[in-house]
Amino acid sequence: MRARVQNGRRMSLPEKFSRLCTRLRNPEWRRYGGTLFAGKMLGLGLVLLIMVIVTGLFFTHVYAQTGTPEVKAADIVNPINTAWTLIAAFLVFGMQVGFTMLEAGFCRSRETVNVLVECVVDTCLCGILFYAVGFAFMFSHGNGFIGYHWFFLQGAPATYESTGVAFLAVWIFQFAFADTCSTITSGAMIGRTGFVGDLLYSICVTGFIYPVIGHWAWGPDGWLALMGSAGNVFPSLGTGFHDFAGSTVVHTIGGFIALAGAIVLGPRLGRKFKRDGGQPMLPHDLTIAISGGLILWFGWYGFNPGSTLSAMDFEGIGRVAANTTLAACAAGLTSILYGYFKMKTWDASYTTNGFLAGLVAITCPCYWVSPTGSVLLGGIAGVLVIMGVDLLEWLRIDDPIGAVPVHGMCGIWGTLSLGLFACGKYGATGPLSPDNSAPLTGLFYGGGLQVLKAQIIGSACVTLATFAVAMVVMLTVNAMGMLRLPAEMEAYGMDLHEHGISAYPEYVISALGAPGGMTQELPVAGAKASVAVGSLSRAVS
Amino acid sequence: MTKVEAIIQPGRFDIVKKALIDAGVEGMTISEVRGHGRQKGHKESYRGGEYSVDLLPKVKLELVLQDNAVDTAIQAILNNAATGKIGDGKIFLYKVEEAIRIRSQERGAAAI
Repeated sequence: MRARVQNGRRMSLPEKFSRLCTRLRNPEWRRYGGTLFAGKMLGLGLVLLIMVIVTGLFFTHVYAQTGTPEVKAADIVNPINTAWTLIAAFLVFGMQVGFTMLEAGFCRSRETVNVLVECVVDTCLCGILFYAVGFAFMFSHGNGFIGYHWFFLQGAPATYESTGVAFLAVWIFQFAFADTCSTITSGAMIGRTGFVGDLLYSICVTGFIYPVIGHWAWGPDGWLALMGSAGNVFPSLGTGFHDFAGSTVVHTIGGFIALAGAIVLGPRLGRKFKRDGGQPMLPHDLTIAISGGLILWFGWYGFNPGSTLSAMDFEGIGRVAANTTLAACAAGLTSILYGYFKMKTWDASYTTNGFLAGLVAITCPCYWVSPTGSVLLGGIAGVLVIMGVDLLEWLRIDDPIGAVPVHGMCGIWGTLSLGLFACGKYGATGPLSPDNSAPLTGLFYGGGLQVLKAQIIGSACVTLATFAVAMVVMLTVNAMGMLRLPAEMEAYGMDLHEHGISAYPEYVISALGAPGGMTQELPVAGAKASVAVGSLSRAVS
Repeated sequence: MTKVEAIIQPGRFDIVKKALIDAGVEGMTISEVRGHGRQKGHKESYRGGEYSVDLLPKVKLELVLQDNAVDTAIQAILNNAATGKIGDGKIFLYKVEEAIRIRSQERGAAAI
């Protein structure tokens, strides 16, 4: 109700003012007024908002940063490196599946359950031992031969040494490596090792042999790692022993313990060797075996690149992964070609052992060689492993999966090949970036014999020490009567005797295990049947 | 009653089975067996060692028939299992003393 016109003319200001006062006394008018006022304030606010936005979008000034909050490199780098280390650790642990499948596939069905159970139990044992004493012996400070801190992981720092990676992440990464070594050792002892004997030697391997000998190469004060400089062993040598991801520490140690075990055990019952007119026992499931091998290859992508413990060395991890791939491919091809040249068949087990040998061989030099070098040294490994298989057969050593040629022999080759193929561009990895100020140069790249000599010394010491200690352990356990299964038990069936079941229970002709079988209840007419059978048996007799 | 036992090439089994059913044979027992005849098999190699494969896979059929149905069955087998090559197999005939159906305890001709 607006009366702008009153009495035929416009209202004057005093008249409007008195009208306002009158209206203010009216509650209904006050409500109208309040709403109008709120609307006007809203509109004003909206206009101001638009002004601010337009100004901000088109007319903002940029001010110089006078002071940014300080982010230390460690706050970003350490988590990245720890995440990388953990991913690698999980991949290496995934190799356990690969090993289990490889071993189970290459052995006979009558010893399969034993392989499966040993793999699981060895893994569990390894975890506990590596927590209790293994990591302490291997990676803590000590006297150069053995570490003596951090037993049961007590008193450990938050990060490991200068890597900046979380201590426990390094622990699990190294546990996975120890587990790999422990599984390699059981590979040549399949089919005739008593389960308690296996537990005993596994305790020795993971608790003592691997950590102590590994300390020499990988411990913070390891004498092989520090060798070649003033105040250490062989000071005039000029360089220490290098083993990037463990051709020697994991594979040679594992392979030569396996050799000691295979020698002390002797071959499986009924095994005749080629020079006596026999041949290797046939595998029972090549599908599982070769799929297992490929899973091992996949896990190796954690084994090698993860050993930088640093994603910040991004060129390093890329290079290592590529080198790993190329060595495996080359070895897989040369091995099967060499096998065809020998036997005129394309042997499945040769190519599997082949690419695994390539992977083992590249494990030591992977950081320091070029892709071309990887192809060459992998290709050589593929031929060496087949020769190794033949050598063991000639020596009358029963190695069902070729653990000794693949891991032991090609581990040595890989270690020595660093002295030949180190390409002179790469030095050491690091948590922030690599340090290539003192690159490793091998013989083929003009670096002389320095690196090769160091590698020979390191490999020889580790191999001989491992083999000697392993022979003592195996002979001791054997003397206790626990290493080798008694002959009658092996003939009866290792799986049935030790584990109470066969891997493929269709062997039992009973409704319990048969493919189509299922226990069925007889109907009441069962009484009639027994009478008929009775009369039949009387008739026959 | 006569039992007809035929050992044939595994690759011919499906056709022989169909022919027998078409010929009116109603029951048979099949097993997968290994064996060899006058030829001894051949050599293979694994992991650098040679071994002999002298037991070759075959399929064994066992049929128990009335005497008057035997010739039809044998003819069906011979027509379909023979490839003309070594390893085609053999047929043996046996006299059956008694046959009993377990479900109903019937004997003799009623049982087959």
